[in-house]
Amino acid sequence: MTPTEQQCTVAIDAMGGDRAPGEIVAGALHAQAELGVRVLLVGWEDAIVPLLPGGEAPDGVEVVFASEVIGMAEDAASSARTKKDSSIVQCAQAVRDGRADAMVGAGNTGATMAAALLRMGRIRGVVRPAIAVPIPVPGGRPQLLVDGGATVDCTAEWLVQFARMGREYARIRFGVDAPTVGLLSNGEEPGKGDDLRKETFKLLEDVPGFIGNVEGRDLMAQKADVVVTDGFTGNVTLKSIEGAFKAIAGLVFGVLDSTPEAKEAAKVITPLLLTAAVDLDPDNTGGAVLLGVNGVCVISHGSSSARAIVNATRVAAECVGVDVVARTKEALAHAG
Amino acid sequence: MPAETHVEQGPIGPDEVFRILRERLAEILEIDEARITLDSKFSEDLDADSLALIELVEALEDELGERTVGFSIDDEDLGDLHTVREAVDYVVARLGIAG
Repeated sequence: MTPTEQQCTVAIDAMGGDRAPGEIVAGALHAQAELGVRVLLVGWEDAIVPLLPGGEAPDGVEVVFASEVIGMAEDAASSARTKKDSSIVQCAQAVRDGRADAMVGAGNTGATMAAALLRMGRIRGVVRPAIAVPIPVPGGRPQLLVDGGATVDCTAEWLVQFARMGREYARIRFGVDAPTVGLLSNGEEPGKGDDLRKETFKLLEDVPGFIGNVEGRDLMAQKADVVVTDGFTGNVTLKSIEGAFKAIAGLVFGVLDSTPEAKEAAKVITPLLLTAAVDLDPDNTGGAVLLGVNGVCVISHGSSSARAIVNATRVAAECVGVDVVARTKEALAHAG
Repeated sequence: MPAETHVEQGPIGPDEVFRILRERLAEILEIDEARITLDSKFSEDLDADSLALIELVEALEDELGERTVGFSIDDEDLGDLHTVREAVDYVVARLGIAG
């Protein structure tokens, strides 16, 4: 994807995420300065204004006050409906009204999805949206996991839509000419999986680029450009990867701190490990895009830092620049 | 424009409510309208989940709210609406209250 020259406006939920509002506001200010985008910072006045330089919004940043916040534990659909003046709903409303071209949120993922769906609407033909999460591949281009948690209960037809939307997004974001698609299952053979996987496998055989089933171990490897699964499995998979990373990092750094010799070796190895790990840091992957809604919505992970918000805003601006919504519509229309 | 309590487009009866509800629900679920009858059960027959029902509620409030000021659907009542007929009857009753 190429950066856009066009100045676009991105609505950022200042109240969403474990490190909100501090890191979110800092990220929004950096994003405006680095990317030249216009930013709407949406949230509580008392929370945002003290974090602005001199208590004033700089050029290119506008504060939009919202009186409510949707917490991480709140029911997604009903809170997005009833808390109409919440920061995340107001972000989606800004896109719907044309005051913003895209939105970025790091809060309650389900509520972000519901707010985007209810305010922006769905692309015609799409029953349920899906989150396309970039999964880093060491030494290679990232994979997309679709769905990362938007739609927990899926039908086979919906998973096929996820595959088609994911392929188009892989073209846009990673410049892959003919993206391959794998269906996440518990074995590579066509007969593997539960009823949903078996039914989906048959339907996916009509989708260009389908290579068959892939397994969990094929994530973070160049096996398939797009890995399709339901939102429940996708989210469990993401959290499993995150947990495994933390455990491995703890193990490695524990060993490097275990003996005087290891500590000496750590002086050399640690900087190399940290450099290698940069590409694996979720703050650097740029956020996940909600595919299937009639607007650009980028979801950053819950513990997003300022850097994560800058990268999510960059992805949002790029999606606007290449008109990802129109291209998704076109891809689905051509699929019939 | 003078203040209005109603936008006059004629009374909204059960048939009209059913027509609107069926049209909107078919759009949301991406299914043929003919699949939706008064006896259809949202969950069992139409695979409509809670998010789909909330989309439907928002769509109905948008459309019917333009015609009857004050029309709204109480989220707490959604759990009691299992069939299209129950939803139509509920909406008609709410329109009566709002009107």
